[in-house]
Amino acid sequence: MSRKAHFPSPLKKRRTTLTLPTESLTEAHRIARRRKVNLSTVIAEALNEGLRLQTAAERGAEVLERYKKAFSGFSDEEISILDGVILEPAVRP
Amino acid sequence: MLNPAAGPFLFDTSAESWLGRAERSEALRWMRGYLLHYEIHISAVTVMERVRGYSLLWRRAEGSKRERIDAARVAYLTNLGRVVPLDGAIAVVAGEIMALVPEPPTPPRRSHQLLESRQERLARWRFDELIAATALVARMPLIHNNASDFEAIRSAIEGAPERFPGLGPLELIRCTSLV
Repeated sequence: MSRKAHFPSPLKKRRTTLTLPTESLTEAHRIARRRKVNLSTVIAEALNEGLRLQTAAERGAEVLERYKKAFSGFSDEEISILDGVILEPAVRP
Repeated sequence: MLNPAAGPFLFDTSAESWLGRAERSEALRWMRGYLLHYEIHISAVTVMERVRGYSLLWRRAEGSKRERIDAARVAYLTNLGRVVPLDGAIAVVAGEIMALVPEPPTPPRRSHQLLESRQERLARWRFDELIAATALVARMPLIHNNASDFEAIRSAIEGAPERFPGLGPLELIRCTSLV
């Protein structure tokens, strides 16, 4: 098996300059010291998680909007039918 | 309140529509929280029940109402999250459940002048058994809105653990308890 299969290539990185709130930066420094990693690692992880949550929240809002379209405007009886409960007019004896 | 991050959960057909129609802020908050972590997981049986429902409504409707039903159907189908397919393991477990509880625990539904036929009731019961089997095999708690049916299945499974080796118990969560 090739070496590449054992060691997947690391994520591409790029240097940049950011202006961050002092409080957040102090907290990030504290976490980095405690975990014995560099500041970039902590900021990158926090950014990744923040972006994941943002994407998930946007996707979630779309899901709820489509559910609204899928189920709104139906009567209770029609919703029952959509739920698999098929009601028919009762036949009088 | 159930932690939405504790999922994923399998959503029964009526629980999915109950939560999808939720207007109470607590239910919406729970759904938003759940969707931050997971997709909506449903059984292929739910897709079948739902599409059958849209199709029956479409056949009964005319004109612009048909267009509205079609638009709702398309919105539903483009929104499908994770659909758990029926497979051999689920078929085995569902067969065991069907043998344990062959008859539905409650009579056909009734509403004003409307009635569910015995055949329809039995079919719906079989679908619930397939959904319960899916939850059991996928090891996901089942969020439902039909306590009488699913509690009967849960009790039956608990009473015959030898028929479900390595599986169970069936975890049930009523959707109204989420808020």
